[in-house]
Amino acid sequence: MSEWGWVALAYAVAYGSFAVFSVSVAARIRAARDRLDAAVEDPR
Amino acid sequence: MQSDIPSRRWPWFAIGIAVAASVTVAMLSPADAVQGELVRIMYVHVPAAWLAYLAFGVTLIASIGYLLSRNLAWDRIAASSAEIGVYFTGLAIVLGMIWAKPTWGVWWTWDARLTLTAIMFFVYVGYLALRRTTDDRRARANRAAVLGVVGAVQIPLVHFSVVWWRTLHQPASILRPDGPAIQDPIMRVALLIAVIAFTVVYVSLMVKVAELHRVNDAAQAAEAGEHHPVAGASVTAPGLDPGVGNV
Repeated sequence: MSEWGWVALAYAVAYGSFAVFSVSVAARIRAARDRLDAAVEDPR
Repeated sequence: MQSDIPSRRWPWFAIGIAVAASVTVAMLSPADAVQGELVRIMYVHVPAAWLAYLAFGVTLIASIGYLLSRNLAWDRIAASSAEIGVYFTGLAIVLGMIWAKPTWGVWWTWDARLTLTAIMFFVYVGYLALRRTTDDRRARANRAAVLGVVGAVQIPLVHFSVVWWRTLHQPASILRPDGPAIQDPIMRVALLIAVIAFTVVYVSLMVKVAELHRVNDAAQAAEAGEHHPVAGASVTAPGLDPGVGNV
């Protein structure tokens, strides 16, 4: 692979993982809010 | 509430702007005389490693804060920073491997810096695992805080490993007694902007991951019947419920 190929791979890993991590956090927040809403609507 | 949406979304916008600035400057900087174009990998590898130090340093400070005050807000900060620190450590390792293969000819070598970084990664993965061993928030915070303090011993070990032992990994390029080893001002600026950009990403992720822990704790408390907060208001206006601010 050329030097630019390695650079492209590194940047894809770095910024691709930023995106994946960010989306996963956003999804987990949404799930936690749903869980909170459910707990408040139906407290045990 | 409409006015609440921008305040919740600014971290995502901040990450986008930081990434765009960092990539632009990194691509405009010159190739290195020895490393060639591969030097551009340093603009993501070095900031990722620095952010790992910062994240685990924040975990240390927040763990001490928890042990002194027993306030669970400190525990949430420690947990959030540790999770992001594990991510940045893993990222630094992988980016280092991508740089090492075309430069050293191998993906990995049992060099002191690489080995200690890998150990640090697994210790903090253990920190996150430890947090999942109980649903008791107080016990979880107590155990995690101790590991958060003890684990931080590794930060100077990892950083100074290139000084204390003869390693294949190169020594520090910026923070060194005889001044920065990087002579080209554009390269220095590119690295500085990359570090700032990654720091913005860290702060933005901290805001969101801390929010996640806050909502999770509020949900757990509500499920346990500790109090019955109003959805949404419980995590944005703790003053309405005396218990929720310190769950």
